[in-house]
Amino acid sequence: MLNKTLVRLAVPAVVGALALTGCSDSGSDGDTLKIAFQGPLSGDNVALGENMQNGVKLAIDQANAKGDLDVKLEYVAADDQGLPDKATAAAQKAIDDESVVAVVGPAFSGPTNTASPLYTEAGLVTVSPSATNPNLTDPKNGFESLLRGVPNDSQQGAAMATYYAKKLKAKKVYLLDDKTDYGTGLAAVAEKNLKAAGVQIVRKAVPQKTPDYSATAKDVVNSKADALIYAGYYQDAAPFAKKLKEAGYKGAAISGDGTNDVKFIELAGDASENWFLTCPCTDATVEAGTKKFAADYQKAFNRAPGTYSAEAYDITNMIIEQIKGLKGDVQREALRDALAKASYKGLTKTFSFDENGEFKGTDVYLYQVKGGKIAYQGNVNELVG
Amino acid sequence: MSLQEFWDYLVLGVMLGSLYAVIAIGYTLVYGVLQLINFAHSEVFMLGAYGSLIVLQLVNPGDNPSALASIGFVALAMAGSALFGGVTAYGLEKVAYRPLRRRGAPRLIFLITAIGASFFLYNLAGKLFGRDPVTLPEMYDNHAVFSLFGAGVNVTQMLQFLTAVVMMVGLDLLVNRTKLGKGIRAVAQDAEVASLMGVDIDRVISRTFVIGGVLGGVAGFLFANLNQVSYTMGFIPGITAFAAAVVGGIGNIRGAMAGGVLIGVVETMTVPLLGDEWRSVSAMVVLILVLMFRPMGILGKQVGRAA
Repeated sequence: MLNKTLVRLAVPAVVGALALTGCSDSGSDGDTLKIAFQGPLSGDNVALGENMQNGVKLAIDQANAKGDLDVKLEYVAADDQGLPDKATAAAQKAIDDESVVAVVGPAFSGPTNTASPLYTEAGLVTVSPSATNPNLTDPKNGFESLLRGVPNDSQQGAAMATYYAKKLKAKKVYLLDDKTDYGTGLAAVAEKNLKAAGVQIVRKAVPQKTPDYSATAKDVVNSKADALIYAGYYQDAAPFAKKLKEAGYKGAAISGDGTNDVKFIELAGDASENWFLTCPCTDATVEAGTKKFAADYQKAFNRAPGTYSAEAYDITNMIIEQIKGLKGDVQREALRDALAKASYKGLTKTFSFDENGEFKGTDVYLYQVKGGKIAYQGNVNELVG
Repeated sequence: MSLQEFWDYLVLGVMLGSLYAVIAIGYTLVYGVLQLINFAHSEVFMLGAYGSLIVLQLVNPGDNPSALASIGFVALAMAGSALFGGVTAYGLEKVAYRPLRRRGAPRLIFLITAIGASFFLYNLAGKLFGRDPVTLPEMYDNHAVFSLFGAGVNVTQMLQFLTAVVMMVGLDLLVNRTKLGKGIRAVAQDAEVASLMGVDIDRVISRTFVIGGVLGGVAGFLFANLNQVSYTMGFIPGITAFAAAVVGGIGNIRGAMAGGVLIGVVETMTVPLLGDEWRSVSAMVVLILVLMFRPMGILGKQVGRAA
């Protein structure tokens, strides 16, 4: 009985597998290759994920419209809600779909850490536009399929520290992280750099989803710090900013790319005014090179590109370029090797990777909330001078 | 910690604790009449917050409403949250618990159903209202009103505290002075005998749920005022308030109030002493200590049937 059932199941499975291999071997036109995006497409920080998803979609649509590819490209969403425990299921979805040849993402550092072993085993390349925890590219991890398309938090944390120490001449900095992989990594680097610059530090942590930030805000005021670093995402930065304002905090405040989204201003209202935000991303609506992209994006999605939209777009285009280079015979591992060696000049920056998949380049940009908008200030290295 | 800082955090702690107390009452009331931990109560709380959000979006307070208008908006938002909370709790009882009670299902089934209802409701809310957090529109100018032991108290905190006190006193009167209250106490003590004495048990239980739901819903609004509205907002305050109800003695209304305030103060005091990451740890340490030395809770005595 059992055997019969097994046979019944096995026959179509084998036939299907044969049919699939047949397909990918032929490489003729009419073939479909898929590019996936893994990131938060539901859950608490969905705005950050959608920014990137739209960038990926736009690049794919434009490539299909141009028609110089001998394959048709398709988009696949792999939603991990930005949570490490949802990341393996999302990754598995991309891996099981045989026609997925590359993944843009995972977007957040925690999910990248949990999903990368799976991707490595499957030989499926992932290029993250935004996972910035420095440890991810540690060769000890053996994340062979992970390429990072963004300067890591060693750069971003250092930029925060330098800006406070050199430009604002801060005496005492209250350093707070949200206990995520991203937040703790960023805070650790900032701490190291502030110490080196001789700035006094109060180091604390406040876990995500704390129901009431009043006490923490009071603690910031009582510490008499003249500057604050919050290493975390906008959903928690917003109520915290509100409570800080209520508690009467007058010093400077800075947060990283996890907070760099208009949602932060929507949620925090006036309390977000004058917050500094760093990001390894440029502002696509300001930089000359990305003006056309910003217009196309606005047309396609009826809103302005957000944090990492342009970077995700660039990375997708880089993947498409390598697909072209492989001339029809696109295998996962071949594409991974091609991307690892590639150097691609995108709209935002030039993408190339060292032997660990780490991004080559160090530029971090500064923004400040002014008049309810995230105003672009420029490259931190240039601002500090 | 200086004396001034001590007062600062104490005031913050009592304000937060009064909210936990109001939610804890919801757990305690239901436990009193059904011997059931209603884990879906955190979703009643979350939907209450959405109720106030929907009302406020409909009436749209605009920028800087006058003082009188502010009071009106707050009242409307509160009514919205009470309605949502009450209706959700009523529906829960009707759909999830009553059929089980009719069939005399074992207690474990009730517990699993409660958890299932909780998952269902919060994912439904995420689907209906979107998964992005939202801030309530500003209904008033949130400035410091007066100072208590040198710690400034602002409008939001005053509103929180006063509403919580009014609701708790009102509930205490209701349970101890009215006919419905007598019914609730009778069902809590011995449902079978109560029904023999002519108490309509179904009606009492369903009203108890509604009362708990209204309180939970309003607490949701007050919490949203403190933080923001999101479909996942119920879980942490819900669990904390449940711990508060147990600390105070589950089934005992005044115990829930005392437990709520105690947990709120302990959590808040932890922030300057040990740091924010320890706040839930210290709340649970209080729970464990209380259970070690007084397993029935601070004010608890054996209420109702032996569990």
